[in-house]
Amino acid sequence: MAVMPDFRYIRRQISRSRHQSLVFILCVALSMVTLVSLGSFSRSVHSSLLRDARTLHAADIIIRSRAPFPADFEAAVTALEKENAVESARVYEFYSVVRKVAEDDSLLAQLKVVEQGYPFYGQVKLASGRPFHEVLTSGSIIVEQVLLDRLHLQVGDRLKVGEAILTIADVVVSEPDRPVNFFALGPRLFVAAADLEALDLVGKGSRVSYYILAKVHDQRRLANIAKELRGFPSEERIRVETYRTANSRVKRFFDNLLFFLNLIGIFTLLLAGIGIQSTLAALLKEKEKTIAIMKTLGARSFYIISHYFGVALLLGLIGTLVGLVVSLALQNFLPSLFRGFLPADIGLGVSPVAVGEGLFIGFMVVVLFTALPLFGLRDVKPKAIFGKEEQRASRHGSTWLVGGACAMFFLIMVLLRIRELKTGLYFVLGTGILILAAFFCTTWILRQLQKRDEDPLIFRQAMKGLFRARNSTRAIIVTLAAALTVVFSITLVEKNLDASFIQSFPADAPNLFFIDIQSQQKDDFLKTLGIPATTYAVVRAPLVAINGERIDPEKERGKRGDNLGRTFNLTYRKFLLDDERIVAGKGLFRPDWKEPQVSVLERVLEMRDMKIGDLLTFRVQGIEVSARISSIRARTEKGLKPFFYFVFSKGVLEDAPQTFFTAVRLDKERIAPLQNHIVARFPNVSVIDLTEAVTVFSRIMAKLSTIIRFFTLFSIVAGFLIIISSVFATRHARIQETVYFKILGAKKRFVLAVFSIESLLLGLISALLALIFSQVGSWIICWQAFDLTYRPFIGTSLLLVMATALLVLSVGVGASLPILTHKPAAFLREQSDE
Amino acid sequence: MNILDARNITKRYFVGTRQITVLDNVSLSLNEGEFVVVRGESGSGKSTLLTILSGLDRPEGGRVFIAGQDITDLREDDLAPLRNTTFGFVFQSFHLVPSLTALENVMFPAELANDMAAREKAAKLLSRVGLAERTESYPHQLSGGEKQRCAICRALINEPRIIFADEPTGNLDSANGNAVLDLLLELHRERNTTLLLVTHNPEVAGMAERVVNLHDGRIVTDGGHA
Repeated sequence: MAVMPDFRYIRRQISRSRHQSLVFILCVALSMVTLVSLGSFSRSVHSSLLRDARTLHAADIIIRSRAPFPADFEAAVTALEKENAVESARVYEFYSVVRKVAEDDSLLAQLKVVEQGYPFYGQVKLASGRPFHEVLTSGSIIVEQVLLDRLHLQVGDRLKVGEAILTIADVVVSEPDRPVNFFALGPRLFVAAADLEALDLVGKGSRVSYYILAKVHDQRRLANIAKELRGFPSEERIRVETYRTANSRVKRFFDNLLFFLNLIGIFTLLLAGIGIQSTLAALLKEKEKTIAIMKTLGARSFYIISHYFGVALLLGLIGTLVGLVVSLALQNFLPSLFRGFLPADIGLGVSPVAVGEGLFIGFMVVVLFTALPLFGLRDVKPKAIFGKEEQRASRHGSTWLVGGACAMFFLIMVLLRIRELKTGLYFVLGTGILILAAFFCTTWILRQLQKRDEDPLIFRQAMKGLFRARNSTRAIIVTLAAALTVVFSITLVEKNLDASFIQSFPADAPNLFFIDIQSQQKDDFLKTLGIPATTYAVVRAPLVAINGERIDPEKERGKRGDNLGRTFNLTYRKFLLDDERIVAGKGLFRPDWKEPQVSVLERVLEMRDMKIGDLLTFRVQGIEVSARISSIRARTEKGLKPFFYFVFSKGVLEDAPQTFFTAVRLDKERIAPLQNHIVARFPNVSVIDLTEAVTVFSRIMAKLSTIIRFFTLFSIVAGFLIIISSVFATRHARIQETVYFKILGAKKRFVLAVFSIESLLLGLISALLALIFSQVGSWIICWQAFDLTYRPFIGTSLLLVMATALLVLSVGVGASLPILTHKPAAFLREQSDE
Repeated sequence: MNILDARNITKRYFVGTRQITVLDNVSLSLNEGEFVVVRGESGSGKSTLLTILSGLDRPEGGRVFIAGQDITDLREDDLAPLRNTTFGFVFQSFHLVPSLTALENVMFPAELANDMAAREKAAKLLSRVGLAERTESYPHQLSGGEKQRCAICRALINEPRIIFADEPTGNLDSANGNAVLDLLLELHRERNTTLLLVTHNPEVAGMAERVVNLHDGRIVTDGGHA
């Protein structure tokens, strides 16, 4: 027998199963659409950011530090300037409360103090259209429109910034190195560096980000100059990067978000893969008689499998092309979805890599996820001609082989996309557990349902429908439950964050933080504050070694989440706070130890394993201070009260440069007058209204939730496609049931009710499973990641379940409606013709 | 009064563009408790006549009356109570609901009629036809004869006034066929149910009180034995 594929046969097989073919194509398209659109969009964003990298950093070399640059480092930069290798500009960024001169009205603003020369690349656009460097001169400031609106000021008015009174000269429209200001706690305010001293805001230990921006005249020397500065022996953590290597805040944020969205994309791919498998299995089941006839006439399994592989490949190719078109179309929609998080003028382009990647993913998905149903064709026996009974597929070694190949592909996709082995493995493990849990729970629930026979007739018939041959009940529930778990979890976590911080800001939690109180201001400040408050000393210092082993800050910063590469806020005291308890050690400090001691908060152990007796070395203002771990503390309450990772014993940090902060709880209406009062007296003290900060946080969370929900929708569509495919696959059985019910005297309403309840059961089981999984998942997220007391939101949860059930009901009944109109006589005639 | 009265029934089908007249001006009446066989060769229109008389299909011309009620133009939902309680059906291909057990198949029409004793009645009927041990078997687990006996029980559970049987022995060997036929006749006599049986088998027709011969969609003889 010829082995060459018969294209007419392949075409005919497709045209005779148009509905299943369409669902198959949609599943293939769906499997790749998220990943390809995200990949393509990500490339566009990255190339845009790279193309405009100089502008996004406003310089060739970006040097940053949390502390003032050491004199010898400054000297090194100055030397480079003198030899005309570079041109440099100092930039200082920090938050401070600014206030109106005549009235008691103040506002937290994000100050950027810049030297002449800034920006070396790009433009700070002003509302007046005038050049930035001409407007920002000593005595004048440039502010964001929001600041004018909130303080009811206008250009030309004066504003008190720290100790200086400056005139508002213009309004900033955009700045090159901050293309997005979604995360700011206050409006931007530009000050000329000449006025820095007059502000008197930069004291010892203040929270200031120090930058030196440099323009390199000979670009060929760029790497060498950066290397030279990077190798400069400095005790401070100075980061030297070029515009090519520096990650802008936007890029860092985008990379993190994309990381998460890629996880969702891979998740969708997996669920769509289940859809592909289940749809092809249904399509092949429809062809069982044809295949049995072919076998009866002597066709070998290889011949049959190769033809149906041809069918799958052709449909897969169409699906891949559809997926590519949709992905690229979607790419145009993504900028508006990400609005606020990315620069507005991102240039979008179709990258050949994205197209190649799309074709590859499409091909692999089709090959891998169709392999099992295709291999199953070997089990079709010629006796299927008689169609008397359902043939059960048996498991061969190939089943495990294909299963293993699918798992490998999934893992490779995860590793390629996520590029982080540990997180990748966690994700694969998590997804695996979720799907297995959904699988086992579904199997158990279905078994329980199968045992029931005391229910009213309609319910019994509906439940029987769930076990109809070819009904992909389990695949539908597993897919929907897994996808819905993600959607429900997002909603529950968002609700918890909202409830904890926004709607009911904890009654006992402080809502107003005063930071950067200088040592000499402490007593006076407390007197001015007029309410009892505890002050906490803060010494800012990085951890440089554990037991003598040096910490590599670059390596640490590469880790996701909190890490040891940053500067910590250290404090000292003799006692435990009310919301702290000792989890290891015999008290906060050991009276029998004579050397300096430090108590470590349990959360630090998540960054690096530490134990009692370990020696921690910090660099405090250039001096290395070592202390032995005397205890490990944990917090007994989750909330917004101040806490410290490292608490030193007395006698170690008292003489180090330090600031103080305090946190109080005030009624909302008292916040503004107190802020004005404090700022008038202590201009250098920053007042942070946490309720305001939480509003910004909530806005970001809401936006992120929308983005994540949007991408998760694709995985839900995979579940719906399986429902539709399942209805098509069981079309004959459903028509048969409909006709038999009618012959036996059932009204259309009865049949409709049976199909509706069947769909409703599918939706309810999926949604309830998803609810259980998401409650557990959200509880873990809230507890572990956000340190929140978890609320289950029963009302919202029930609404989610009901909405899902109704949606599944609509899809299931919608797909079944044409079946209801089938006339008994026509069906009986068809049956007798066969 | 006739339990069934069909007047001038005409039925046509289109096969592609070709029109085929399957029934041509057929009139037929059945008395209560009568056993009538409609006999004819394959393609003579006998099964089509049965589907029209039982309200499963509509004629292009003519009227059908059941106990004096014109059912010709009734909607599907209006026909449902008739199918449930007045008619019983037995088909050549059994047409048992595959997802229901033998007992559930038999119970189904009674449950639709809200008969609280559906389960007991079904079990009793199945026991009567020798299927007491097979009540929990699914159709694919039953032999042809068992399926047909089960289908007969289902047709009888609501004690219908008319049973429509379309080649009930057509898919059975002679032993099973005879047994099924004996059962149908026994129940017909016992309950005085009108039995309209369609067959091409002269032996089966020989058992009827009245035989209607159909040829090319027309009644050629009506009355007496075959």
